[in-house]
Amino acid sequence: MLKKLYMVFGVGVLSFYALSSWFGWELANSGSKSRLGVPFFYSGFRGGK
Amino acid sequence: MSVLQANCPSCGGPIEFKAGSTIVLVCPFCRSAISRTDRALEDLGKVADIVDSESPLKLGLKGTYKEARFELTGRAQNKHELGGSWDEWYATFSNGWVGWLAEAQGRFYLTFYQPLPAGVSLPSFEGLQLGQVVTEIPSPMPLMVQEKGRGTSIAAEGEIPYKLTPNEDFQFADLAGKNNAFATIDYSMSPPWVFIGNQVTLDEIGLGDARSVKREGKRVSAAGLPCPNCGGPLNLIAPDKAERVTCPNCDSLLDVNQGNISYLKALDQTNVPEFVAPIGAEGTFPGDVKFKIIGAVVRSVTIDGEKYYWHEYLLYNPMIGFRWLVHSDNHWNFVEPVNPADVAQDNVFVAGSTVEYNGRKFKIFQDAPAVTEYVKGEFYWRVEQGETVRAIDYVAAPVMLSQEISANEINWSAGTYMTNDEVEKAFGISGLPRPWGVAPNQPFTGRFYYTWGALPLLALLAVAIFMIPFSGLTNTVLNQEVVLPPLVNATTAQAVFSQPFDLKANRNVRITAGAQVDNSWADLDIDLVKDGTTEEIESVNIPVEYYSGSDSDGAWTEGDKKSDATISSLPAGKYTLRVEGTWQNWQAQMPVTVKVEQNVNRGVNFICAFLILLIVPVIGLIRKVSFEGSRWKDSMFSSASSGGSDDSD
Repeated sequence: MLKKLYMVFGVGVLSFYALSSWFGWELANSGSKSRLGVPFFYSGFRGGK
Repeated sequence: MSVLQANCPSCGGPIEFKAGSTIVLVCPFCRSAISRTDRALEDLGKVADIVDSESPLKLGLKGTYKEARFELTGRAQNKHELGGSWDEWYATFSNGWVGWLAEAQGRFYLTFYQPLPAGVSLPSFEGLQLGQVVTEIPSPMPLMVQEKGRGTSIAAEGEIPYKLTPNEDFQFADLAGKNNAFATIDYSMSPPWVFIGNQVTLDEIGLGDARSVKREGKRVSAAGLPCPNCGGPLNLIAPDKAERVTCPNCDSLLDVNQGNISYLKALDQTNVPEFVAPIGAEGTFPGDVKFKIIGAVVRSVTIDGEKYYWHEYLLYNPMIGFRWLVHSDNHWNFVEPVNPADVAQDNVFVAGSTVEYNGRKFKIFQDAPAVTEYVKGEFYWRVEQGETVRAIDYVAAPVMLSQEISANEINWSAGTYMTNDEVEKAFGISGLPRPWGVAPNQPFTGRFYYTWGALPLLALLAVAIFMIPFSGLTNTVLNQEVVLPPLVNATTAQAVFSQPFDLKANRNVRITAGAQVDNSWADLDIDLVKDGTTEEIESVNIPVEYYSGSDSDGAWTEGDKKSDATISSLPAGKYTLRVEGTWQNWQAQMPVTVKVEQNVNRGVNFICAFLILLIVPVIGLIRKVSFEGSRWKDSMFSSASSGGSDDSD
């Protein structure tokens, strides 16, 4: 069971990596250099009112 | 010789020598052994009744070996000097061969007389060494002395192809070779005779359908005898095999000899152990074979002055013979005999020594005298408290290969690790005490996590390579120098816009800014603005500072004249950069180089994914190292062997 869970986890990480590469998402993006705090992927959401 | 009909010289009853090879016939009326010679019949004396066992064989059974048909025409029963008996069945073949089918402890050996080449003589019985390869025997396989012993002919029936003299003692040596090769040297002849053949299964000789005959009424009468010491009942499970039995009522050790039970001595009652499995319990073991526990012993080894105890259960199945179930530190092993010739050993017993069996190397784990401390139940040999053998254990999980060396015999056995669940399932019980520590041959069950479990890492590499064309070919979309005019004061920033440029979707963006700073700084805020609007899509702060000089250690620099920030992909469209900044030399203008790139392969995503996927395999390896450390810490050969052991998932 644990083995299956681990393999599912591994496939999940792989899929997430492939999706990030495809969509140009940057893990650890500009980070503290970002003044607007654009998250891992751009949603256009700025919060606020 | 031909078929001969005659009258028994002892009782006058009609007897018939059916097979031409028959030398001795046991008269079915008076049990005299009648020998035929060229001149007359000779009465060799009475032979005892055959002790019926649960042997699947019987006179008259017909089988096939190497496409030749045979019939079991005679049977001799011999007593081993150390206790126990074995049967030799005589197979008369339709093509004239005479085979000896020996049956001992549930194993069968079919051998044929092998004349020695002219001028070749065998070593004497006294000169023969255990473990010695007897090169004088013409055999395709080297044959190694496994046992030297003495036997006594105690009973016979049917037709015997040699001159059997009742109660005659004889010396023999059993030899074993690879691929179940087997040989016996019979020293009752001068010069000794050699019989060569193989260990066989009943299936291999066309007797696979033979089944043990229940002979409850005829079995050795010991089954129903009372203990000669206390009078309590003895309920023997394998009375025809038993040589020693303990009385469950008074804990006496009793000797069983052809149905006669005699008192030997009282067992030492100090530290009477509690056996987890009861005598008489029946379990189903590998191969779906049922074995019954008929005896239990406690054995020990003393290492560095400390005694280590374990329990061994003697298992019995009439069709298979004897096996062992070993219980140590609540770990369990199912132990089966091994042909000594199948073990390649160089007789070096130092740390790191190995033997090879079945294509696997086994590392030496222990080499110590094993002492029998306590016995309970019934046994096929003359077991004694204090009985000592040299026991050498080798491990390659999940198997432990054990060599036991006594004065007359070398035995090898292979113990296969069984989990508590497997033992509980075998006996249909639950609640066995949980094991502690790591058993010498316990398999490490976490191997998956650093073998197959590392597959996602390889897959990650493959995906990363595959994705390079899509995410890793960097494309510059803007490279421009803008000039910020001098500041009004030190704190009020100036701003300029770059020329517009196009960003594509689904590609990350790296903004690099360079400023002409020398021993000074510039603090730049760069906004990505949708062209034609004032909407800031992203804004990054890029400070640039560069200092240089020299001191007693020589020239030095600190910082860089350019810096960058990378952000995730943005919606496709036309953008401009709004570059705003303050700088140390605010009275002067500040030229700033800005560059915008897409599809930058920083490797951060890859490294993060790699590290995440590495966690489990690394933990698996750490567990493996720790497990092997625990395995070998109790070994007297731990210093050089703790590097690892085979394991399985």
